Amino acid sequence: MSEDFNYTLKDYESDFKPTWCPGCGNFSQWRAIRQALIELEIPPEEVVTVSGIGCSSHMPNFLNVYGLQTVHGRGIPVATGIRLANPELTVLVYGGDGDVYGIGGNHFLHACRRNVDIITIVSNNFVYGLTTGQASPTTPVGTTTKTTPRGSIENPLNPIAVAISAGATFVARGFSGDLKHLTYIIKEAIDHRGFAYVDVYSPCITFNKKQTFNYFRERVYKVEETDHDKEDFYAALDLSNQRFIKDNLPIGIFYQIENKTTYEERDFALNQGVIPARASLDLSKEQIDIITKEFY
Amino acid sequence: MTKDVVVRFVGSAGDGLVSLGDLFSKILKKHNFNVLGFRSYQSVIRGGYNEYQIRATTDEILSIGEAADIIVLLNKHVAEIHKTRVNKGAMVIYDNDYIDLEELEYPEDIQKLPIPLAAITKDISKLKVLKNIVGFGAISYILGLDDTLVKEVIFEQFGDKGNEIVSTNYEALDKGDQFASENKWPIKWEKLKCEKAQQMIISGNEALALGLISGGLKFYSGYPMTPASSIVHYLTKHLPKLGMIVKQTEDEIAAVGMAIGAAYCGARAATGTSGGGFSLMSELIGMAGIEEIPLVVINSQRAGPSTGMATKTEQADLFQAYGISQGEFPKVIMAPSSVIEAFQVGIEAVKIAEKYQVVVIILLDLYLSEHIATVRKFDLERKNKRFGILDKPDENYIRYKITENGVSPRTIPGTKNGMFFTGSSERNERGTSIASTLAGLPDTLPIREEMVKKRMRKMEYIAEELEKPKIFGEQDAAITLVSWGSTKYIVREAIKILKEQGITANQLHIKTVNPFHTKEVKDFLDKAQNVLCIEQNYLGQMNDYIRMRTGFNIQHYLRRWDGEPIVPSQIIAKVKEVLKNE
Repeated sequence: MSEDFNYTLKDYESDFKPTWCPGCGNFSQWRAIRQALIELEIPPEEVVTVSGIGCSSHMPNFLNVYGLQTVHGRGIPVATGIRLANPELTVLVYGGDGDVYGIGGNHFLHACRRNVDIITIVSNNFVYGLTTGQASPTTPVGTTTKTTPRGSIENPLNPIAVAISAGATFVARGFSGDLKHLTYIIKEAIDHRGFAYVDVYSPCITFNKKQTFNYFRERVYKVEETDHDKEDFYAALDLSNQRFIKDNLPIGIFYQIENKTTYEERDFALNQGVIPARASLDLSKEQIDIITKEFY
Repeated sequence: MTKDVVVRFVGSAGDGLVSLGDLFSKILKKHNFNVLGFRSYQSVIRGGYNEYQIRATTDEILSIGEAADIIVLLNKHVAEIHKTRVNKGAMVIYDNDYIDLEELEYPEDIQKLPIPLAAITKDISKLKVLKNIVGFGAISYILGLDDTLVKEVIFEQFGDKGNEIVSTNYEALDKGDQFASENKWPIKWEKLKCEKAQQMIISGNEALALGLISGGLKFYSGYPMTPASSIVHYLTKHLPKLGMIVKQTEDEIAAVGMAIGAAYCGARAATGTSGGGFSLMSELIGMAGIEEIPLVVINSQRAGPSTGMATKTEQADLFQAYGISQGEFPKVIMAPSSVIEAFQVGIEAVKIAEKYQVVVIILLDLYLSEHIATVRKFDLERKNKRFGILDKPDENYIRYKITENGVSPRTIPGTKNGMFFTGSSERNERGTSIASTLAGLPDTLPIREEMVKKRMRKMEYIAEELEKPKIFGEQDAAITLVSWGSTKYIVREAIKILKEQGITANQLHIKTVNPFHTKEVKDFLDKAQNVLCIEQNYLGQMNDYIRMRTGFNIQHYLRRWDGEPIVPSQIIAKVKEVLKNE
C-alpha cells in the first residue's frame, strides 16, 4: 500500500450505525467492502454504492461514500446510468436475493450480458427479511415461510448458473462467516474489468432458522483449494449445480474471463475517453451542422 | 396570390409511402412553401391502409388540411375509402391498369388522371416502388415544380446508393412528367420560381430532440414504443459522435433508472416513451422526485388505455402525468403545441430540471410527435449555464439544506468532501433516512413537514419562470377557445376561417400545465363571453383540470377520441352551434 493513501475503515463508515439485527450476515459484508476499497486504494469520493429495498439494501446508509438507495429492484439500472455517465467511478450495487433475483431479475440478466464495469453483490439469505419472512426466489422447496405455510412449492433459482449463462465475466460466491475469503472475493470483483457479480451466503438470524451460520460452516469449501479452472465455462456451470446435487457448497470465484471487451470499451463515445457527466454543455458550429444537415 | 394545396398519397405499408412523402415535403420546402406532412397508418409492417397527407401553402401553415386537392392512389385495396375524402374538382391520379374509379363509384366532379404507373416502371427497372417516383414526376408537372430542384433533392436522398440508383430515379421522374405532358394533364401552377430557402423541415420528435441537445443533454435512455421511438432513432444516429450516451434498455424501468443514474452523476439526462412505458416508469419518477434528481421524461401520448391504438393520436394522459407516482412531489408538466415549441420546450426542460432539481414531464401527442413541418432555422448555439453544482464543498457540506426556494446545492460523485447518502425514504438535511428508525418520533415530525415544504416550494419559483398563458386574438371575441397540446394551430385555422365568416373567436392555450398559472387563466375565463374547451379525449381532462385549479367551469366542449386529429371544420361547426344557442 502506498504511503499517501492513509484511509482507515472508519473513514468509509458513515455516522449512521447499521440497523441490522445483531449477528446479521450483512455486518461482515459491510466490513469486507470497506476493507477491499482500502486495499485497492480507492478513496471514498470515487465510490458510489447503489441499492434497492430490503434489509441488505440499507448498506449505502452506513458507508461514507456516495450512496444512493433506489426503489425495490432498481439498483442495477441506476448504477449502470451512473457508470456510463462517469466511467472513472467505482460503482457497486448491493442488494438482497429478493431485490436482485426477484423484482430486479430482468435487470440482473441484462447487466450480465451487457458487461458494464460495475460490481453487484447480493446478500443471499433465502428469505425476505425486512417484510418479516416470506419466500424469496432462492428459498428451497419445502421451506415454510409466512407466504408458504405448507412449504414452498417452487424450485429455487440458481443465480450463479444464470449469471454464467447470461454472459457475466466474473461470477463468484462468498460466505459471511468467512470475512477474509469474502474480502478477497470482493476485492477481486472490484478489480475485475467488466460486470462482476458476487452472491454471498448471508444468514438471516431472525427469519431463517435453517440456512444458519452453522449450516454453512459445515458445508462450504473453497474452490481455490481445488483444481477448478475458473476460465472453464462448463466447469463453472457444473460447480454452480453442485449445491443442487450434493450437499456441499463451493465458495470462491466460479468463473472469470478477462478477454471480453466491456460495454464502455465498445461504446462509441466512451471509447474516446469522454466523461458525459463532466463534458461541456455547448455545441460547436461543426456539431450543429452534423446534427441538422438532414433537415434542409 | 396565395398558393395552397393538399396532396394525399395512399397505399399500404410496404408501398414506400414514407420515403415518398418525406421526399415530396422536402421538395416543396425547397420551393419556399410552408409545408406540413402527416402519415396515418396502422400497426402492421405490410398491408393496411396508409396515407401520407401533405399540405403546402405560401401562407402561414396551421393544419394538415382536410379533403385532398390531389390524390395519388398507389393500390386498389386502399382506393375505395378515399372517394369521400376528396375536394370538388380534385385531381385523382391512379394506375388504370389496376384501378377502375367507376367501379369504385368515385364522385363525378373529380378530374380523373389515369397513368399506367406499373407498366411505365417495368420499362425502367425491376424495382416496383419506383412507380412512386413516376407518379411523382406527373405531380411535378401539375404543380410546375422546378426540375433541377427536384433532382437535387432526389440526389440528396439516393446519392449514397450509387449513380445507377440516382439515374434510374431521374428516368422514372422524367417518364412521369413526360406522360402528364403528352396526355395534356391540367396545370395547377405555372413553372415555380425559387429562391434559396433557409427553412428546415422537421418532425415534432426530432425538434424536441434538437432542443434537448441544444440545452446540454448528455444522456438519453429509452425503450422502443410508438410514437416516441423516433426520438431515440434520431439521437442515436448523432449523439455518440458528439460524445453523448444513448442507451436502449431492457425495459422502460431501466430506461428511467439509467437516466436518473446519469443525472445524479451530473449529466443532463432524459428518457422518453408513450403511455405504457410511462406507467412502468412511475415508481422511479417518484424516486427522482424525493431524491431531488433532475430528470426529463417525455410521454408522447397515443390512444389508450393499455395498448389502445398504437398508431393513433390522443390527449388522454393528462391525469396520468399529473398523478404519476405515489405521494406528493414537485413535477413540472409542459405540453408543447408545435414543432417550434417542441424545440423550445426541449431547451427549457433540461434547464428547469437541473436548476430546480425536479422532474420535468413533457407531454407530446402522436400528431405532434410524428407530423413534419417547415420552420425557420433553429438556433442551437447557446451558452448553457450549470446550476447548483458545487465543485469544492467544505467539510461540513450537507446535501439537503433547507433553503428559501427549496433548492439545495448538490455535489456529484467524484467530488472530494461531497459524499452524501440519498434514498427513496424521507430524510433529514444531511440525507440520513428518518424513515427506518426515527419515523414518528417527536423530533422527526417537523423534519418531515419541512422536507415536503422545501420540495414543493420550488413550484412557486418555477411558475414565475415559465411562460404564462396569453390570449390570442381579440379580447372581446364572441367565444374563447381553450386548447392544449397539438390542437393549438388547428384551432388557429378555425379562428381564421371564422373571422372570414364574421365570427370573432380568441384562444386561451395552456402550455405550462403544472405549475398552473391559476390567476391568469381565471382572469381570462372570467372575462370571456362564451368558452369552448377543445381536446382529444373522452373525459375532458383539461376541462376538469381547469375547474380544479381555478374553480371555473367551462360549459361547452368539443372532444375527439377516435384517434384522428381534430380538424378546423369540426371546431367551426361547434362554435356556430354554441353561438346559435346563446
